[in-house]
Amino acid sequence: MAIPPFIARYLGNRLMSKSLRSRLDNLHFRDAGHGYDAFGLHPSFISFGAGVTRWPYEKYFRVVSSGQEHLPGEGAAILAANHSGNVPIDGMMLWHDVLRHTHPPRVVRGIADHFVPALPFIGTTFARGGMVGGSRGNVRSLLEAGELLMIFPEGTPGIIKPFHKRYQLQRFRVGHAELAIRHRVPIVPVGIVGAEEQLPSLFSSKRLGKMLGIEAVPIPIFPFPLPVRYYIFYGAPIEVYRSLDSKDADDPEIVARVARQVQAEVARLIEHGLEQRKGIFT
Amino acid sequence: MNSRNVLITGASSPLGEYLIERLLSDYRVEKILAVCDEGYPLTLPESERLSIFQLKMRKQRKLHDLLFGPARESQVDVLIHASKVFSANREGVAVRRHNVETVRSILNFADRHPTIKRLIFCSGAEVYQVQRDLPSLMEEQHPLNMNSGAPQWIRDRVELDVMACTRMGLSHLRIVVLRMAEILAPGCGSQFFDYLQTPICFRPLGFDPMLNFLTLADASSAVQKAVHNKEQGVFNIPGADTLPLSRAIDRWGRIGIPVPNTVAHYLYTMRRFMRRGDFRYGMNRRRFHFTGIFDGRRAADILRYIPSHPIEWPIEFGGEK
Repeated sequence: MAIPPFIARYLGNRLMSKSLRSRLDNLHFRDAGHGYDAFGLHPSFISFGAGVTRWPYEKYFRVVSSGQEHLPGEGAAILAANHSGNVPIDGMMLWHDVLRHTHPPRVVRGIADHFVPALPFIGTTFARGGMVGGSRGNVRSLLEAGELLMIFPEGTPGIIKPFHKRYQLQRFRVGHAELAIRHRVPIVPVGIVGAEEQLPSLFSSKRLGKMLGIEAVPIPIFPFPLPVRYYIFYGAPIEVYRSLDSKDADDPEIVARVARQVQAEVARLIEHGLEQRKGIFT
Repeated sequence: MNSRNVLITGASSPLGEYLIERLLSDYRVEKILAVCDEGYPLTLPESERLSIFQLKMRKQRKLHDLLFGPARESQVDVLIHASKVFSANREGVAVRRHNVETVRSILNFADRHPTIKRLIFCSGAEVYQVQRDLPSLMEEQHPLNMNSGAPQWIRDRVELDVMACTRMGLSHLRIVVLRMAEILAPGCGSQFFDYLQTPICFRPLGFDPMLNFLTLADASSAVQKAVHNKEQGVFNIPGADTLPLSRAIDRWGRIGIPVPNTVAHYLYTMRRFMRRGDFRYGMNRRRFHFTGIFDGRRAADILRYIPSHPIEWPIEFGGEK
């Protein structure tokens, strides 16, 4: 990352509102000794990220969120959301929304696909904002440390799906369910409405993706995201640990059942959101 | 508490010297046998409790005679093996004999030794595989760098580590492998220390991984705790300094210039041939791209080791010397 932390903080403070700035003064993170946490998060870059995403959050995508009371104020939890839109703006909006609506503010740790840390600039910038590569060991460490995780169980197939498949959830991977059972943490289902229409694509090029070291590259119709309105719905936490034991994390049937339960809840939130909204841009 | 009689190989290395000073101030250690490689200058303190031996470590017969001669007479019960060829530029059969075959001999001799009960091997961060799809926080079961195309410097270290690990539980010996984070000090085989010796440090464009550094004080403290502990196993020994590569370059008072990976590789290959520096970019390429730092929870739980000696960086925050 080329920007030194003090410049990131200065830019962040310039771009943030006064209320957001004062909220971030109470930001809590585990300093590993030099102002960074072990995975590379730095509070100045949280300010920078909050400042940079403020305008799109407030003015461009005009995010409306509900159900924030389901966001845990402390302790480990997993936010499981649908993924869409060809570029991970849904992740950024969710990241910003959680920062605004948790007391004290919490940085949700995005769990990215393996190729993201290998992307120059992007991997480092996201790491400073709290993102972590999606390996089992990393996720386990974060949960044991009581962090709030953001997982998109559909993975890359969700974000790159073509426009005609919008709001059709792709197959949910089961890792989040297994982790929740094993570490006895709640899963908060999240439905994001609006991201599907931000950057419609006709198809995805697997050949181009192979050249860039990622699964596929979507070919969008428009060169920039459209000013769609985002809706974020947080569902009631699924507290799997109440009925299941940590050992059940090794039972494939139970894990798959929990993943299906999460998928159904996310689908319900999306359906509810689609009924609520009056139009794509309003 | 039982007193210990300790034999230390690699006593003339900075870690060896530091460790001997620490053990001399430890009343629970009665006798120390310091073994140095022949031809190295000695700067060890004088003490009645300290005996110094000089021998070529790779000579099996001499090693045998030391262990079954003076070491047996002194009732040595703990052997600390810290001797290694540190330079990445030295390769070949003799180096392998020193790094790997010596460990094999020590394991065999100690197995039938009447007094040695505990073996402590000093391994390092370089044995671990660092890549984008592996955890950034490395536990002891993290994959090792078993790449057959890796330089001998790495292959030797992985082999000796694995060799020591596979002998755990196969004999009466209590074996401890301490995988230490990079010791940012001269004479310790630190690739990063050599990397930071030039005024300008080139780093890969667009990447800034987190690194963890250990001090000699913390490294010797971990070994000391392993001497008095009864458990065996593999332990990660992290340092107190976890920071990004760019920050490490800044704090060392160097100028970091991001360049494309291939350019950095070319420049450091040139530097290696022109200055005979130890640093090899190709060997560290992944560590310069992806975070790979130690999870020290096991060492904290079992050895009670917590890093507490941060590096005294040449440049303090704010750019003051």
